[in-house]
Amino acid sequence: MNDAAETPLEPTENDDLARLIEFAQIVTAGRDAMSDHIVARVAKVLTEGLNLLDSVTRNSGLMRLFQVLESEDSQALLIAIADALHQAGRDIGGAEPAAGGLGSILRTARDPNTQETLRALTTFGALVSQSLRTQYASD
Amino acid sequence: MHILVVGGGTGGTILANNLARRLAPEIRKKKVSLTLLSASDRHMYQPGLLYVAFGEMSVDELYRDEASLLSSHIDFHVDPVETFRLDQNEVLTRSGQTYEYDILVIATGSRIVPDQVPGLKEGAETFYTEAAALKLFQRLREFEGGTIAVTVDVPHKCPIAPVELIFLLHDYFKLRKIRDKVHIKYHYPIGRIHTIANVAKWAKPEFDRMNIEYETLFNMKEVDVENKVVRSEEGTETNYDLLIAVPPHRGMAVIEHNQLGVGGWIPTDRYKLTMDGHDNVYVLGDTTNLPVSKTGSAAHFEAEVVAENIAAVVKIGSPVRDYDGKVYCFIEAGHDRATYAMFDYSNPPDLKPASKPMHWFKVAYNQMYWNSVRGLL
Amino acid sequence: MAESMKVDARDTYCPGPLMELITYMKQADVGDTLELLSTDEGSAADVPEWVEKVGHELVRNEQIDGVWHITVRKAK
Repeated sequence: MNDAAETPLEPTENDDLARLIEFAQIVTAGRDAMSDHIVARVAKVLTEGLNLLDSVTRNSGLMRLFQVLESEDSQALLIAIADALHQAGRDIGGAEPAAGGLGSILRTARDPNTQETLRALTTFGALVSQSLRTQYASD
Repeated sequence: MHILVVGGGTGGTILANNLARRLAPEIRKKKVSLTLLSASDRHMYQPGLLYVAFGEMSVDELYRDEASLLSSHIDFHVDPVETFRLDQNEVLTRSGQTYEYDILVIATGSRIVPDQVPGLKEGAETFYTEAAALKLFQRLREFEGGTIAVTVDVPHKCPIAPVELIFLLHDYFKLRKIRDKVHIKYHYPIGRIHTIANVAKWAKPEFDRMNIEYETLFNMKEVDVENKVVRSEEGTETNYDLLIAVPPHRGMAVIEHNQLGVGGWIPTDRYKLTMDGHDNVYVLGDTTNLPVSKTGSAAHFEAEVVAENIAAVVKIGSPVRDYDGKVYCFIEAGHDRATYAMFDYSNPPDLKPASKPMHWFKVAYNQMYWNSVRGLL
Repeated sequence: MAESMKVDARDTYCPGPLMELITYMKQADVGDTLELLSTDEGSAADVPEWVEKVGHELVRNEQIDGVWHITVRKAK
């Protein structure tokens, strides 16, 4: 079948035939290279992938979470948390251990960062409670 | 409404998962509860046993944790049923618990009973259990030459297995380059080499090509273990060096003990798949008395129909579909080619020529089975 | 007391009417009769062939409206 180039055909037919033969050779080569093990391994990945996708899409909590996470605000918050964790890690690691004692506690309470944190946690806590109450009420 | 599924094999698992999908809203709102009881915490892919016997699959590939296959909406317990009280709509389990139900599905499967044939248990190898398949693998590896007798008893699960076994034996010994030292003799109980006429027609020239000796109308009578002879009711006998038997089967012991059906086969309506005399009890898989092949495929298609009907009963008060007898079975024709048989109550099987891609489909299906039992395929 | 029962294997191909009959014959007692219903025309020849080879008794073999009614008595 390699005689295509020597076969006296019209130029366009010759090209198409050559291309078809090449394609057939690739398919045959692919078939020959294919083994039971390859088929089994690929099938296994696809099977597990499908199962995973099925579990995820049937998990209403995860799907709602995806929806929430799609908003830019959520993404901004996630990025903020990631940045903060990263930076805080370095700050805490580099800071002196706390001195202890009442004086130190008073100083911490007066620290604007403490008040920022408490305010963030209070807001966050209130909203989580609100969401939980709404969800359990509708069940 | 309590739906109870007894049996965590192919049929029971597919049914439970399929129902969990269809009744997800009702289960979440606690209007419906779905419970599955099984005798084992593991799920076995039974068709893999034949591959294990030829060293083509390892035992761990056969099993998965049943819990990992089930939707979280299913209440799963490894607590086999011991007593069925159908008139009171309840079952009693080994742990002493009573489960009440509104709808019951019995999918307990079938088991081999080699004891039914004198000498069979001691004298014959088989591939119908994990231990037996591993032992057969060893015997085949150690076999250097002689006569291998293959016998078939009735009824048995996976009607195509005897034919697949022959193809696999032939290719196995060819690969080991000792095929000429092995004489293979196949025995079948009726007047042709397979119960499906089209399979017998397809397989006969293949058997001739592979140099397989065969004797039809050979109904198992006994095995003379000491002298290595297998004898038939018809009065003939075959000497063997290795005997591989497809043993007779019965339904599970619990079905027989509860007298739900003679031989453990529960009388079932062939379209509605309900137990005769009990409209709220469905039966599927091997344990029915239906003249349908005892295969995972039949259990699968039956489970889809039963799930659809139970869901319809819950949602609209009545079933919606009949089982049409559909079965789809792969037929491995050796080391690297396969075909398939598809049929139902109205259409006989019509075999296509065996091919390598079909063999790959079967290899892929050995993995895709784990999608199937989740009710995905 | 000899029992009689019907084995309805109409419209089935696998394992098929004769294998169904064999299953029920094994569960039956000597003297019981089984009536096999089959829509497979092959049964008209397959079943008597098996009955004779194994050694049971063929009581009746007739076709009514496309359905073969074959009655067999368990002789051993």
